[in-house]
Amino acid sequence: MKRKVYIKKSQAGEVMKYKAVIIGGSAGSFQVVTKILSALPVYFPLPMLLCFHRLKHVRSGFVEALSLKSQIPVLEPFDKEQLKPGKAYLAPANYHMYVELANRIALSTEDTVNHSRPSIDLAFITAANAYRDKLIGIILSGANKDGAFGLKKVHDNGGLTVVQDPNECEVKMMTQSALQLTKVDFVYTTNQIINLLLQLK
Amino acid sequence: MNELGIIHIKEIERTIKSMHEYDFSGYAMTSFKYRLERLMMKYNIQEPEHLIKKIQDEPDFFDNFLFDISIPSTEMFRDPSLWRWLREEYFTESIGKNPGKFKIWLPLCVSGGELYSLAILLSELELLEQVQIIATSISATSIDIIKTGQYDLKKIAVSEENYNRANGIKELSTYYTIDRYYAYLDTSLIKNVEFNKVNIIFDHSPQNVKLILFRNSLIYYNPSLQESILGLLHSSLSAGGHLIVGIKEINSFRDFEIVNEAESVYKKKPGR
Repeated sequence: MKRKVYIKKSQAGEVMKYKAVIIGGSAGSFQVVTKILSALPVYFPLPMLLCFHRLKHVRSGFVEALSLKSQIPVLEPFDKEQLKPGKAYLAPANYHMYVELANRIALSTEDTVNHSRPSIDLAFITAANAYRDKLIGIILSGANKDGAFGLKKVHDNGGLTVVQDPNECEVKMMTQSALQLTKVDFVYTTNQIINLLLQLK
Repeated sequence: MNELGIIHIKEIERTIKSMHEYDFSGYAMTSFKYRLERLMMKYNIQEPEHLIKKIQDEPDFFDNFLFDISIPSTEMFRDPSLWRWLREEYFTESIGKNPGKFKIWLPLCVSGGELYSLAILLSELELLEQVQIIATSISATSIDIIKTGQYDLKKIAVSEENYNRANGIKELSTYYTIDRYYAYLDTSLIKNVEFNKVNIIFDHSPQNVKLILFRNSLIYYNPSLQESILGLLHSSLSAGGHLIVGIKEINSFRDFEIVNEAESVYKKKPGR
């Protein structure tokens, strides 16, 4: 089967210069993000932000599990940590993760949003504010509408929006909510998402 | 509601600074903006100009502002493993050794969650009489609420789970009553606590403090204010005094050594 991946081209016809990728998900997304991380090259050119619903009181284990098969380092950032290309930043347990000015992470203990801390909406909204049209937002499988509004903000700011194909999702609610709210750029299978990410420069 | 622009936020900061002794310019932009937007929603303020006018014209509103801009702790006994460590290792070892009152400072109280957690723990260790707790807040409203014991009902369930995971020796429900809207914590726990209102940079901070509990507040500052507040906390501690911050707040800092890395417990280096 011929793989065809579409990516926004600038007028010069070059692959548009994105500055960050953000991925959100909850139930059923662990296998998907593991597969994505294992397929990325060690020299992945952008910082990757990961926001997944997780148990509030379990601080360890998640980042270790994601690291096992990942080619790029996966870490739970400290507050005001500088975002760097080729690293994946996982929102720590019981904190919201924001993108702050000057390409830094900011953590927060604000109230839950959509019953969630970390909230995918807050991570996506702040990333969209920081990166505007230079952001790729991806929503994966999940059992909650968190992330739908955040993805809309990515879209409204001119960023590229991708939703995992609900037919492939273990739990469809998160992707379907996102699709209801936003006319997204792509509805992709995991393999197509990987192909998209591999084209980034 | 419209999103606040940076220009509006800076204007709000300037207005506050010119009228009151509070300088929010060192607050981290993203969370401060989010908090301002929430506050405007709560008071049904549509335009930033109206918020500025309200701050200028209504002196009573400003304490509400200080209350609403502050972010309360998420729950009681957050990070149960820290509280377990305090219970089983830290307090029994450190308080026993010290003649006189053991001074503990909570610099930025908002909802009282940390304060009551601490008081419950010390009371169960029968050490409450041996400590002097100083609780400061930027908001008089916060202090009033904490003194009544009023606490967010929807945080009680998770607090209860945390208390049990932290090896609390009773039931958390021993310490509160509830009505339809709130939990009311047992105020006898805090009867000896000294409360003070402070500004953002903690003028007149207490001295010779043995333990500072300052968790998940530094995250609301930008790096340069973080640095200066840490310097100030350092000077408040007695030699060998301990500082506990939030789990993911600070990677490392000079003038402190790590005592418990997993729980973010630091110790002032001797001779500094």
